[in-house]
Amino acid sequence: MSRSSFQRVEPWLYVGPALVVTLVLAISPIAYLAQAMFKDMEFGDPVGKAPSAGLGNFQVAFEGTAQILDGLRLTAVYTCVALVLELMLGLIIALVIENLKRLLPFVMSVFLVPMVVMPAMVAMVWRLYFSYEGLVNWVIGLVGMSPLNWYGPEHAMKAVIITDVWQWTPFFVLLFTAGLQNVPREIKEAAEVDGASSLQVLRRIKLPLLAPLMVIAATLRVMELVRQFDLPYIMFGGGPGSATRTLPLAVFNTTVQKLDVGVGSVLSLVLILLVVAVSWLFLIAMKRARVAH
Amino acid sequence: MVAQFLTGMTDLPPQPSRRLRLGPAMTAILGLLFVALWLFPFAYMLLSTLKIPIDNISTPPKFVFTPTTENFRTVFENPDVLRFLRSSLIVASVSTAIALVLAFPAAYALVRFRRFYRTERVAYLFLLLQLLPIISLVFPYFAIAQRLGIRDTHLILVIVYTYWNVAWAIWLIRGFIEAVPAELDEAALVDGCSRPQALWKVVIPVSAKGLVAAAILIFIGAWNEFTLAFFLTARNARTYPTVIGFFLTHSGIRWGEMFVAASLGTLPIVIFALLVRKSFISSLSFGAVKG
Repeated sequence: MSRSSFQRVEPWLYVGPALVVTLVLAISPIAYLAQAMFKDMEFGDPVGKAPSAGLGNFQVAFEGTAQILDGLRLTAVYTCVALVLELMLGLIIALVIENLKRLLPFVMSVFLVPMVVMPAMVAMVWRLYFSYEGLVNWVIGLVGMSPLNWYGPEHAMKAVIITDVWQWTPFFVLLFTAGLQNVPREIKEAAEVDGASSLQVLRRIKLPLLAPLMVIAATLRVMELVRQFDLPYIMFGGGPGSATRTLPLAVFNTTVQKLDVGVGSVLSLVLILLVVAVSWLFLIAMKRARVAH
Repeated sequence: MVAQFLTGMTDLPPQPSRRLRLGPAMTAILGLLFVALWLFPFAYMLLSTLKIPIDNISTPPKFVFTPTTENFRTVFENPDVLRFLRSSLIVASVSTAIALVLAFPAAYALVRFRRFYRTERVAYLFLLLQLLPIISLVFPYFAIAQRLGIRDTHLILVIVYTYWNVAWAIWLIRGFIEAVPAELDEAALVDGCSRPQALWKVVIPVSAKGLVAAAILIFIGAWNEFTLAFFLTARNARTYPTVIGFFLTHSGIRWGEMFVAASLGTLPIVIFALLVRKSFISSLSFGAVKG
């Protein structure tokens, strides 16, 4: 082999194995779904032998109360509200704790904890905290509010969001705090000498410097929120009724609870398309942000 | 950059409004309030491991009570709990090791061959594949595993975890390799090392700290993973996060034992993460911030 043709294949020798493994494990289930969405089959039936359903599964998935539309709406609410809350709170907290000089390592350690706790356990423990006699109602009682029925259809989604906010706001806090540490001290001092107020320093210096980091963090978080299954599943199983049945929960509900693999496959593919579309938009923004950073 | 900001500053109105500056005492109090808000639910969980059932469901929540070790005893006497911990340990460590072996050379190539190839696109392809929703893929995996006869084994979990971990690992490790000057491995190549030798002797030692952080992050992800483990395993290969179901009995939820199980699965991980806190934070953003 000549030197130049070796150079051409060389990178693929390194990337190849990882790429093959990833592609095989991504494409084989999608191929299965693409087959199953045209089949009339129950969970456990072999996909090859199942009778064809034509386009019947699409009709079921999109008709009437429209699982898909409902699922999409709840996914949108869940993703947007959780993301905005986490981003805003993360920014506020980072700006506050930035000034805790000697305590900062301790504070950062505290905020690291929720992120590494098993999500399954977080879901279970917070489910107890949200019970009528639980910790959350006790805390809101301390500030004079009357207890809420978090398990009811009205508040269940809020409970899931609050739990996610507890677990993942720290992600933003840690990134923004680290980002703020990187703001050169001369800039801050120069601004102070010039008599800039805190608000001006924030608007003209800190926020512009943090902006790329915000895009990166939001991207990474959105990718998780859109597809999140474990937290809403363990807390309320998509219920009560369909109050927390986001699209990932609808996939589970159709495939496992109704045993309808055909319609479940349609929902699965819609979810995949949604995740890829949303992530694509954010990834373009993130790519720009990484270059700017 | 600096100059740009400073010229921006000169346009500002001259009078400083100092009212908006929070005093150091106020910031400290506010900061600690946030810390308390985030620490409290976790601390309460640890505290609840020592409560008898009646104290665990009392209103208002009890902070002073007679502690018991009963919950710990029941959990440790349950042979399943230790078996599932072992399962988790096997699956998480094997899949992390495989992911690193596959991801390290790939990450290296994506960084070092950037000048000649559009490696950035390949990197984003990996990221895009990594973010496919688990819940959409888990039932096809179930059917495929059933057919291959590997459902409810450690093997199937290792295989599917490897998929999600490899892409993730590539992005984590890429950041650390970028920090290694290209001249280092080029010097090794000039000295007559082959590229794999240069990787082994130069790049790995220099980026070791980052590799450890990446390994820990990936291990934590695999250790905590719920959805795949929950649907792909039944009895033999169950991992620890899926034990939560056991505390739901017909007589209600055994909260004390569940708190013990939760703490048991979590504390080692928390300690792990705290040990590598700085590289951990840097890894979280794929190296966008330096820890």
